[in-house]
Amino acid sequence: MNKTGGLILKIFLLIVFFFPILWIIFSSLKLQNELFTFPLTIFPNHPTLQNFRAAFKSGNFIRYFNNSAFVAVVSTIITITINIMAGYALSKYIFKGRDLIFSIMIATLMIPLQVILVPIFILEKNLGLLNSLWGIIIPPAATPTGIFLARQYMMTIPNSLIEAARIDGGGEWFIFHRIIIPLAKPIIATIAIFSFMWRWNDFLWPFIVIAKEKKYTLQLALANFVGQYDVDWSKLLSMTVISIIPLVFVFLLFQKYFIRGMTSGGVKY
Amino acid sequence: MNKKKIPKSSFHQVKAPMLFLLPNMLIFFIFIIIPAVSGLRMSLYEWSILGEHDYSGLLNFINLVKDHSFWNSLGNTIRYVFFVVPLLTASSLFIALLVSGQEKSVGLFRGFYYLPTMLSFIIVGISWRWILGDQIGIVNYLLTSIGGKSVRWLTSPAMATASLIFITVWAQTGFYMVMFVGGLQAIPETLFEAARIDGANVFQIFRKIKFPMIRPTMLVVVVLATINAFKAFELIFVLTKGGPGTATKFLVQSIYQVAFEEDRMGYASSMAVVLMVIIGFLTFIQFKLNKKDYANE
Amino acid sequence: MKKILSTLLLLAAVSMLWANGAKENDSNSAAPAEKVSLSVLWFNDGNESQVFQDTMADYLEAHPNVSLDMQLVPFGDYEKRLKLMIAGGNPPDIARLTNNHVAMFADNLVVLNDAVPNLSDVTAGYGKASLAFATRKDGSLVALPTEATANGMLVNVDLFKNAGIDIKKLSKTWDWDQWYDAMKQVVAKNEGLEFALGFDFSPHRWSTLLYEAGGKFLNDFGTGMGFDTPETLDALNFFKKLHDDKLIPASVWMGSENPQELFQAGLVACHIGGSWMINKYSKGITNFEWAAVNMPKRKIRSSVPGGKFVGVFKDAVHKKEALDLMVAFSDKEHNSMYCKETLNLSARTDVDIAYPSRSADFKTFGEDLAVTPAYTAADWKAPQLNKIYSYIREQIVEGLLGNQTMEQTAKNIQAKGNSFF
Repeated sequence: MNKTGGLILKIFLLIVFFFPILWIIFSSLKLQNELFTFPLTIFPNHPTLQNFRAAFKSGNFIRYFNNSAFVAVVSTIITITINIMAGYALSKYIFKGRDLIFSIMIATLMIPLQVILVPIFILEKNLGLLNSLWGIIIPPAATPTGIFLARQYMMTIPNSLIEAARIDGGGEWFIFHRIIIPLAKPIIATIAIFSFMWRWNDFLWPFIVIAKEKKYTLQLALANFVGQYDVDWSKLLSMTVISIIPLVFVFLLFQKYFIRGMTSGGVKY
Repeated sequence: MNKKKIPKSSFHQVKAPMLFLLPNMLIFFIFIIIPAVSGLRMSLYEWSILGEHDYSGLLNFINLVKDHSFWNSLGNTIRYVFFVVPLLTASSLFIALLVSGQEKSVGLFRGFYYLPTMLSFIIVGISWRWILGDQIGIVNYLLTSIGGKSVRWLTSPAMATASLIFITVWAQTGFYMVMFVGGLQAIPETLFEAARIDGANVFQIFRKIKFPMIRPTMLVVVVLATINAFKAFELIFVLTKGGPGTATKFLVQSIYQVAFEEDRMGYASSMAVVLMVIIGFLTFIQFKLNKKDYANE
Repeated sequence: MKKILSTLLLLAAVSMLWANGAKENDSNSAAPAEKVSLSVLWFNDGNESQVFQDTMADYLEAHPNVSLDMQLVPFGDYEKRLKLMIAGGNPPDIARLTNNHVAMFADNLVVLNDAVPNLSDVTAGYGKASLAFATRKDGSLVALPTEATANGMLVNVDLFKNAGIDIKKLSKTWDWDQWYDAMKQVVAKNEGLEFALGFDFSPHRWSTLLYEAGGKFLNDFGTGMGFDTPETLDALNFFKKLHDDKLIPASVWMGSENPQELFQAGLVACHIGGSWMINKYSKGITNFEWAAVNMPKRKIRSSVPGGKFVGVFKDAVHKKEALDLMVAFSDKEHNSMYCKETLNLSARTDVDIAYPSRSADFKTFGEDLAVTPAYTAADWKAPQLNKIYSYIREQIVEGLLGNQTMEQTAKNIQAKGNSFF
C-alpha cells in the first residue's frame, strides 16, 4: 500500500468514525428549538454556548464531575495494580488451580449482571457501601477483562528473563517490580485507558449504589436528562461533549506508551 | 514453559503467585462470586423480588424448552453475534494495522478512531436513534435532499438488525483496535528488519510475522467480542427497545424483562444459565483452537 | 510512566480531599440525635423534585428537626431501583409513585387507614378516580394522590386550517370516521406533510382507543383477562389501518422516534399523548398554533386516567415523620402550589388552580376525563397488567408488522395476561 492511498483510506475512515460525533458537537451549539426545525442544518445557524452555560448551572455539574473524576482515577490506580499482579501470577507461574482460577474469572464475564443485581444490592447494603463512592470504586476494580489482557500480554514476555533474574538472586517482588513492570508498560497504558473509560462511563454500578444527588456521577446526571417520553437534548448534548474531554486527555496521555519494541531489549526469539 | 527447571512447592511457585493474586481475588470473591452464586441459585426457584421464593427444581429449565419468545430472542442474539464478531475483529485489526506506526499523525488518527468508544451507551444509543430517525434523522434528510429515497434504518426488521450491527462495530472498533495496537507494538523491530532484508512484502510480513505474533491478542479480542455481543443489551434497548416488534430483542433484554417487569427472577436466572453455557462452550472452543494453532508451529 | 503515576496519585489525593470535604458537610447537617433526615425517592418529569422541596420549605421551617435527603433516580430505572431497595430491606421513607408503582408496591406501602388519624378529612377533597388508584383490593388506602394525568389529543391548528378544517369546531362532536377523514384531508392538502398522527409508543396511550371502542383489559370481576373481544379487535384493526394508510408514521411504533418531537417539528398534525404535554408544548412551540381537543368518539368517548402519588413504605426508618410530611404535602394549600408550579392537573377536586397559561387546554383534557368509565382505572391498577406491559407493546407491533393477525395478538395478550392471575 503506498503512502497516499493509505492516507486517503485513513481520512475516509476518519469521516465514518467522526461524523456522528461532529453532529453531536454541532448540535450542542444549537438551541433546542433549532434542533427540530426543518429543514435540518448541519452547521448551527446561531452557534451559542448557552447550552454549556445551562449545563454548568443545572444541578451540581462541578460536583458530578469531581465525583466521576475521583471514582475513575482511584479505581484505575487500583485496577492497574491488582490486575497486573494477577495477570503476572496467571501467566508466569505454574501452580495448582491456576487454570481453574483463570477459567472462573472468564466465566464471570459471561453472567448478565441483570440477574445478580439483587444480591449485589444486598451485599453493598450490608457492607455499608450504599451511597458511598467506594461502593462503585472497589467492586468493579477487579475486572476480569483487565486480567485477561495482562495475562495474554505477559505470556509474550520470555521466561528466560525471569529465570535469569532468579539465578542472580532476585526476589519475586523485585523481579515483578524491576523487570516485569517496565516491560509491561504498553499493557499498563492500555488497561489504564480502558479502566478510566469504563469507570467514567459506568452506569450500572452507580445505578445500584448511588441515589443521593450529592454522590451523583456524570453518567447518572446524564441519564436524568432522558425522561419517560422526552429527552432534554440541549443539556444532554453539551454535557456529553464536556464529559468526553477527560477521556480524550487520558487517551493522549497514555497512548505514547504504545512504543514498538518494548520487549526487544535483550530478548532473543 | 519449562517445568523441569523449576522446583515445585518452593516459595516462588506457590506462595508468590498467591500473594500476587490475593488483592484481586479478594475483591472478586466478595463482589462477584458471592452474588453470582446466589443469583444463579435462583434458577432452581420460583423467585419473586418482592414476594415468595419457592424451590421448584428444574421446572424453570423445562419451561424454557417450550418458551417461544426465549427461542426467538436466542435466535436474534445468535444472528447478531454471528455478524458482529467477525466484522468487529476484522475492522479493528485492519485499522490497527493502519495506525500502529510511530509517527505523530498516526497517533492523531488513532485518537479519532477511538472517540466513538469513549461515548457512553446512552449517548451512542440516543444519538444514533436520532441520526437514523425516519423523519427527523440527518441521514435520511441528506439522502432525500440529494434525490435519494429515505431508508427505514431502524424501523424495518431487516434493516434494524443491520443498523444495530453497524452501530456496534462503529462504537466498539476503537476498543479492540487499542488492544491490537498494543499487541502489534510488542513485536520486536528486529523481526521486521530481518524480514525486510529477505525482501518480504507487506502481505508476507503480515502473514508470517504480525499475524502469529498477535495471536494472544487475537484470542482476547475474539473471546471478549463474543461475550460482549452475547450480552448486548443497554445500547440496543436505547436504540430500538428490541423492535420493531421483537426483531432485535436479544437474550439479555428478555432476561431483564422477565426478571424485573414480570418479577420472575428465578426464570430469568435459568435463562442466564443457558446463556452462560452457550458462551462458555464457545469460549472453551476458542481457547482450544488457539492452543492447537500454537502447537502446530 | 513514573511521572504519570505520580500525577495520577496527586489527582487522587486532591479528589480525596474533595470527597472528605463533602463528607464533613454530611455530618454537619445530620448530627444531633433527635434530628430526622427523611430519605425521599423522587423522579423528575420536569422540575418536580425542586418544586417539592420549595413547596415543603414552610413545613421544614416549622419542623426544624426534620430534613430531606433527596434521592433522584431517572424514570427509566426508577421501578428497578425501588424493587432493589425493597428487596434489600432498605426502602426510602417516602417516595413519588405513578399509579403503576402503587399497584406494584401496594403490599409494601403503609396502610393509611390504620396509620393516619382522621383519614376521611384528609381524603375529602380528592377526585374519586385518583383515590381508586391508591386503594388496594381489600379497600385500604396505601398512598395519597398528588397529580392527575389524562390521555388526550393535541392538534396543530394551522395545518388543519390549511386543509380548510376548523378543527376546534369539528372536534366538539367528532367520531372516528370524521377524525379519519380529517386526517386524510390534512395530509392531502398540506404540501410536504407526510403523516397526520403521532401516537405515543405505549400500551397505556394505545388503550385510549381500546376504551373508546368499548373494550377493556380485565373481565368485569377483575379475576382474569377480558381482552379477547370484538371491541378489542375493532381498536386493534383501526390502529393497524392508521398505520397501513400511512397516517401514523411507522417510525414511532416500529422504531422509537418521539411523537412529541415530530409534533413540535410540524411533521404530524395530531399527537395522542398525556396531559403533561400541555406544559411541554407551551414552552417548546412558538411557530404554529396548537390546542388540546376532545377525543373522537367510537362507542364512547374516553380518556385514560393516571396519576402521581406519594407513599410511605412499611419498612421505612422514620415512618411517623414521613407520614406527617406526606399528609402535609397533600393538603389543599401545598398540593395546589405544587401542581401550579409543575403545571399539572391536581388530583384534588377542591382546588382551583390558575395556571399561567393554557387553562382552556387543561379544561379540555378534564372534559374527556369526566366521561371516562371507572373500569379504566381498575385495569391500570392491576399488577398483572403492569407485568405484561412490554409484552402488550411487542404483540401489537407484531400485528402491525403483519407477522401475525390482530386476532392472534389479542389471543396472545389474553393468554399471557391470564398466566399471571
